[in-house]
Amino acid sequence: MAIQQADKLLKKHKDLHCAKVLKAIGLQRTGKQDEAFSLAQEVATLEPTDDNSLQALTILYREMHHPELVTKLYEAAVKKVPLSEEYHSHLFMAYARVGEYKKMQQAGMALYKIVPKNPYYFWSVMSLVMQAISAQDEKLAQTMFLPLAERMVEKMVKEEKIEAEAEVQLYFMILERLGKCVEALDVVRGPLGEKLTSELRSRENKCMMMYQRLQLWPECNALSYKLLLKNPDDWQFYLSYFDSLFHLMDKSWSQPEEGEHCVEGPVQTTVAEAVKFVVDRMEEQDKKESRPLRGPYLACLELIHRLRQRGCPDEKELGDPLELMVQFFGKFGDKPCCITDLKIYLHLLPPEQRSQLVPLGEAGEDGFGFPGDTKALQRHLCVCQLSRALGLQHALDTEGKLRLITELKAHYHHGLQFGKSCLKTELQFSDMYCLMAAHVYVDLWTETGDENMLWQCLSVLEEGLSFSPSNAQFKLLLLLLFCRLGAFQPVVDLYSSLDAKHVQHDTIGYLLTRYAGSLGQFAAASQSCNFSLRFFHSNQKDTSEYIIQAYKYGAFEKIPEFIAFRTRLNQSLHFAQVRTERMLLDLYTEADVTLSLEESVKAMGVCPEEDDIPWDNMRDNRDLTVLVSWDPKDRELTEEHRRLSLEEESVWLKVRSLTLRLLASLALLGHAPSPRNSDKTNENGISAKSSTLQTLLSQLDQTLETAVQITEKQTQYPFLGPPSSRLASALSSGSCHCQASGVAISNHLQEQCKGEVLEMKDGRLTTRPSLLETLVFFVETVCVVLWVASYSASVLRPLKSSLQKKKKKKKDSSSAMPVVLCGFQEWTGSLQGVVTQALDHVKGQEASLTALKLAALTLEEGYSQTQEECGFTRAAMDKVQSSYLGSLQELGDLLRKRADSLKSLKI
Amino acid sequence: MTTLRAFTCDDLFKFNNIQAFLNFLSQYGIPFYLQYLAHWPEYFIVAEAPGGELMGYIMGKAEGSVAREEWHGHVTALSVAPEFRRLGLAAKLMEMLEEISERKGGFFVDLFVRVSNQVAVNMYKQLGYSVYRTVIEYYSASNGEPDEDAYDMRKALSRDTERKSIIPIPHPVRPEDIE
Repeated sequence: MAIQQADKLLKKHKDLHCAKVLKAIGLQRTGKQDEAFSLAQEVATLEPTDDNSLQALTILYREMHHPELVTKLYEAAVKKVPLSEEYHSHLFMAYARVGEYKKMQQAGMALYKIVPKNPYYFWSVMSLVMQAISAQDEKLAQTMFLPLAERMVEKMVKEEKIEAEAEVQLYFMILERLGKCVEALDVVRGPLGEKLTSELRSRENKCMMMYQRLQLWPECNALSYKLLLKNPDDWQFYLSYFDSLFHLMDKSWSQPEEGEHCVEGPVQTTVAEAVKFVVDRMEEQDKKESRPLRGPYLACLELIHRLRQRGCPDEKELGDPLELMVQFFGKFGDKPCCITDLKIYLHLLPPEQRSQLVPLGEAGEDGFGFPGDTKALQRHLCVCQLSRALGLQHALDTEGKLRLITELKAHYHHGLQFGKSCLKTELQFSDMYCLMAAHVYVDLWTETGDENMLWQCLSVLEEGLSFSPSNAQFKLLLLLLFCRLGAFQPVVDLYSSLDAKHVQHDTIGYLLTRYAGSLGQFAAASQSCNFSLRFFHSNQKDTSEYIIQAYKYGAFEKIPEFIAFRTRLNQSLHFAQVRTERMLLDLYTEADVTLSLEESVKAMGVCPEEDDIPWDNMRDNRDLTVLVSWDPKDRELTEEHRRLSLEEESVWLKVRSLTLRLLASLALLGHAPSPRNSDKTNENGISAKSSTLQTLLSQLDQTLETAVQITEKQTQYPFLGPPSSRLASALSSGSCHCQASGVAISNHLQEQCKGEVLEMKDGRLTTRPSLLETLVFFVETVCVVLWVASYSASVLRPLKSSLQKKKKKKKDSSSAMPVVLCGFQEWTGSLQGVVTQALDHVKGQEASLTALKLAALTLEEGYSQTQEECGFTRAAMDKVQSSYLGSLQELGDLLRKRADSLKSLKI
Repeated sequence: MTTLRAFTCDDLFKFNNIQAFLNFLSQYGIPFYLQYLAHWPEYFIVAEAPGGELMGYIMGKAEGSVAREEWHGHVTALSVAPEFRRLGLAAKLMEMLEEISERKGGFFVDLFVRVSNQVAVNMYKQLGYSVYRTVIEYYSASNGEPDEDAYDMRKALSRDTERKSIIPIPHPVRPEDIE
């Protein structure tokens, strides 16, 4: 429609630029990229100066991901209309969009010369700062860009032309980056600092930052003290207060005898003063009529912790940690965050006191007296959480744990009455009991290996979800358990009901992508990669626009922050993973082997020589503590776990990306120039390509060696922590090495696939999800081998036909086929055999799985559950069965496709 | 015990406990957050627990004509993680937003809330807010269909000495009639 209108206009006015561009936008939006682009270029080369055309072209180029062309447009425009404030400012923004800092600096100054407005001048200054930040050479930043920026601001200060708060902030930023902290402090404390009014405590925050950098501990201490008197709940200032206090003590700092000792007021230098300060703050809260603040009470525990670290005996002055915790519980036990607060300080309790903290709760005669209201419920729950955090639950034997589960379930069910009027979107008050019962089931499962516990765990979570359908923790744990069980189908719905948005694709996307492909749900796998990819790709465009806005509004501090944000996403481990896996999936499942591999590779834009993964700057943005845990410290995720998990994932990613690049280089090898015009350069071309293949192969060998070392460590992560990568099972299946050599399919892969994925024995259900994983590796390997085979076929075919021609000429029927041809035929023949065998195997698995009648299980006996609970368990079992079936079907379909492609490989 | 500080982009990576999974809160896209950070960074404050968990955040802006005495602070989003509720955190964050608006010379602070969200309406009333008007079908469901009315609630700041800005408008208005 828009295109037609534009055409009408163009009939009347042949050279109406704007109409042409509007038509181009129409074309671009209807998918006619090339037409749109050439029409736009037609106008652009005429260097239009009317605002409408320029704006329309800007929109078009941005949509076409060519922001660099916008700069060309306005460069031409300002040449023709040199005094236009508007065009100069558009030019500046166009440079900002592509991060041309040097040109921004010049454009800003040019603008200021035309229209001497302060913002323009400071745009130019900020662009210098950006040159400093982006400079590869830190020396250049420190000796050229930043000093120049500083001088530019100083000039304005001297001429008393500083107007806005943003200008002072920028000045501070420059001085801070130059390490001129004393000067920065002078600015903040001086008359210019009076402009810093928008942000609350802006001057105080900046001073504190500089005091810490300059190690001005008296000032730091006095300022923290002052701020705490104003707000005794602001935790950051307790930390700076304690830090500075101990620094002063270490330096045996003493008050100067004369004059004001510190610009910020009184300084505290002894433990006695600190103890009194904290005790006073607590008393202040005790006397208050209104709700007490937690800060002072926790500061007391923090001070004990720090004194103990220093071996200082004065901690006794503050009281016994156990008593303090009991008091804290008395005041805040009915708040859900009580456990989060106390957990940090549980190590202050000696082991013999640990069980004393727990009977805090009001226990009834029959063992579990039920709370009368939600506050009492929360207090009881907190006690349970504490007992878990103290390791008391873990210390129970199997009997004890089962009793505990019964108790937790009873409390859970009892607590539901308080939430009868809750909306669907609200959580039930007693949900956490249910989650904790699930945690204890998981403990039992991992300790005893009794799968029964797992089924009951699923049951209790499904029940929880039925009463509290928006409880994310239920969903997350269910999701994790189904993944561990190898049943991916229910995970899709669970994850989508979490409604993950934007950055969450990066932080929790791994929960989905780790398992989808490896469990043979290829369609779901490719979809989950797409979700994440869509987010990552939009990031680039989004951030650029807001960098421009930050210039407009003078939010200079935010500009480096936005750029760092963009970089963090671009360097994300998850981003690299989904990028690679998505392409591998395409090659394994979508691409047709009989079509050229080359085309698929080209469409994906894989270049074997190019490694686009930032190995040295990889950012692990995964949120590995998204699942709530009340486990004791020694069972929690450690920094070492995080490091190992990242290492493992990176090596696995390397294996995958090298496999991908190897396939790509195979494609280019296949694109050997026809032998007729084979001159020297062409030959060189081929040898360069085959050397790429060699290099990649040896890299893959090296990586696999590293991989073996890593898997030998057999790192165990906490159950609720990160899942292990696919590395270990890939290696043990032999798939890695098999894919790497790409010559033969090792039979032991198939050996490993024997057995049933789901079995019923003695009225109990047994799962073997590892079978699925191995099958997937088998199928992947078949795909790789097929690509190799199809390449070999393309090389051998001409050889054979030329041989046949020769044969005809010579009429020599006795000359035998060359070994290589026989070998190939034999090889594809045996491949065919293996694939057929595998297909039968999968069919067999499918059949026995379908024949399995779960209804025949009498759960009441085998699992000692109530009828209701049985319902939830059955539902979980059904989901697992159907998911296994789904995986097997997808795997079977894929194998059938590959068997067909094999047939076409005859030479 | 709460650390109150300016919100930064890195906080988006720690968002899971507040933002995620609270589907009754509207979730915004990255551009929305970046827009607020670029334009009104001082109005975007986050509360952090000592363990590093994010407890909640407030996000707002200043807008309106000074000449017509409509210059005011606006609360765009206020959110506290379930684990950190009932500590008075929302009140503290609102207090900060009001103080920033005072400094900017605003006449009042306003916010929109679903009429069905009685808990929130009552909380705002306790904090000194009153219903200024009802906005018909202000909220829409994910399919774009009109979903629910909103209360436009206001609290006068010290600049509005006669508290003119909060005199209720008796008739409901449509979303397109508000600025």
